[in-house]
Amino acid sequence: MFKTNLMIMRRELGYMWRDRGLRNILLLGPLLGILLFAAIYSAQTITNIPTAIVDLDRSASSRDMAGKMENAPNLKVVSYLQSYEELEESIQQGIIVVGVLIPENFGRDVALHRHTRVLLIIDASNTIFATNASTAVLGVTRTLSAEIGVRTLLAQGMDPIKAKNMYVSLDLKEEGWFNPTLNYAYFLVLALALNIWQQCCSIAASINIIGETGVKSWLQIKAAGFSKIQLFVSKSIIHITVFMVMALLIYFIAFGIFKIPLACKLSTLLLFTLVFTVALHSIGTLMSSIAGNAVDSTRFSMMVALPSFVLSGYTWPIEAMPGFLQPVVWVIPQTWFFQGFNYLSFKNPGWQFMASYFWALIAFALICYSLATVITAWKER
Amino acid sequence: MSEQVLVEAKDLVQKFFFKTILNGVSLQAYAGECLGIFGLRGSGKTSLLHILAGVDRFSSGTVKVLGDDIKKSQLFKQRTGLVTQEPSLFQDLNVIENLDYIAALKNAGHADIERVIALMELHDSLRHPVTALDAGIYQRLSLACALLNSPQVLVVDELIKDIDLFSRHLIIKQLKPFLQSGGTCICGFSNIEMLIHTDRTGWLDNGRLEFYKPSDLREKWTTMLNSFQEPGDA
Repeated sequence: MFKTNLMIMRRELGYMWRDRGLRNILLLGPLLGILLFAAIYSAQTITNIPTAIVDLDRSASSRDMAGKMENAPNLKVVSYLQSYEELEESIQQGIIVVGVLIPENFGRDVALHRHTRVLLIIDASNTIFATNASTAVLGVTRTLSAEIGVRTLLAQGMDPIKAKNMYVSLDLKEEGWFNPTLNYAYFLVLALALNIWQQCCSIAASINIIGETGVKSWLQIKAAGFSKIQLFVSKSIIHITVFMVMALLIYFIAFGIFKIPLACKLSTLLLFTLVFTVALHSIGTLMSSIAGNAVDSTRFSMMVALPSFVLSGYTWPIEAMPGFLQPVVWVIPQTWFFQGFNYLSFKNPGWQFMASYFWALIAFALICYSLATVITAWKER
Repeated sequence: MSEQVLVEAKDLVQKFFFKTILNGVSLQAYAGECLGIFGLRGSGKTSLLHILAGVDRFSSGTVKVLGDDIKKSQLFKQRTGLVTQEPSLFQDLNVIENLDYIAALKNAGHADIERVIALMELHDSLRHPVTALDAGIYQRLSLACALLNSPQVLVVDELIKDIDLFSRHLIIKQLKPFLQSGGTCICGFSNIEMLIHTDRTGWLDNGRLEFYKPSDLREKWTTMLNSFQEPGDA
């Protein structure tokens, strides 16, 4: 019995290795994914946001403001332009992302404590760029308005200490937890690589049943009277092992080479990944039991696997999705995995909290494997 | 040939959607007998053979192989071998890997593999991928795989059709000792030349099976062929 199982496993491993397409998908897909994403997000945060200043005032105050823009941490002043029209053209052509227009009489109005308006333009066509740009610009404008406010109060005859205290009496302290530097690499690289990985695994898992029943050699298995359950258990063990080896490689590259931080223990993450791998494999198996051929089975699996990352709420919060969609996204195991992965990698909330994520994935696996068994038996009758 | 019945089918009916493929087929195959199932393309030969080998289900009737009701037990498969009409070996494996793998599925040992390799003279092709084999070698390998578990019942479909003469000779040569040892071979064919190798043959037509001695069946076949000849045909 054990010898037969080993033989089936060996054949399955050999099949996965000899099938060049499948081998490339499984091996190269996830590895290229993590290397590519690590390269893309190697800057970790967006700095040097191209900025242009139009100084229509050319006073000491306007030069002071321009200087503060130049010293802002994530902005890079790339040009001083002459007019609003030039600024508009530069933004339209993508040369700059942030434009600062200092109006005429800016210095005089500030000195006379009159209302004045500095126009800050941000190219919002790329929301990630725009969010970073507005954060950087806000840092400068907040400092500037505080300085001007204190100066105004001083000019009105207020005691300097009192004037200063008035502005610092409310201390708004910002603390970014779990990813304080808002590091994109920590947030996205591993998740995107795991997304590629789960898609590749879905393709491989989708041939579990149809890969045997859909070809003529199925007659040999039936004629031998070999237990179908035993056959698919042996095949599934190999599939899940291969998927886990790929996940291990990804984790090694992410945590060992790129030093992406991990809040929980690696063993916890591996256990969670294993449970997800089984759930993922069960979906592929279910698809392969429904489909009439291997191509259809792959199509069905990809219909779930492709949009699952976006639906998982990893990049766009589930709470911000339309009401009717919010319960639906929890019907795919990828949502439980990517949500749970986010908690484990950044927060490590403990077993009690994570238990529901583990149980949900186990339930998925049980349901999908059971359905696949019933459907296969029905089709074989 | 003895009186011991190894395979018995009674009132076998097979329907596929609204089409009746087998309509009350009954047969008995005895130990030491080569029972032919003759029929033209689409007559239901393969369906019948697959049912007897336990790889297809049927609508009604009973089938007993080696005493087992095949709807209730799978044990008969331990002593049954099947050679299919269409290539059914594992395409991703080479010759020796197919033998190894099917031996594992059939719980056969290394000695059995060696035995069938020698029987079917497959030594020179062991590392060849099955997709690259000549039809004759492929058929020898198919029979070798079917013989791995030393079956008592051999179900073969178009065993020697369109293969080279050496392979044909080798395959037919192995049938004799198999039958002498008390096995039964149920052999489906559509080419009349296989007739001489059978002891008794059933003609499957319109879902019905009628049995003939080989000489009678050949005569009927010739008469049928002649009936289509028109005056002046050569």
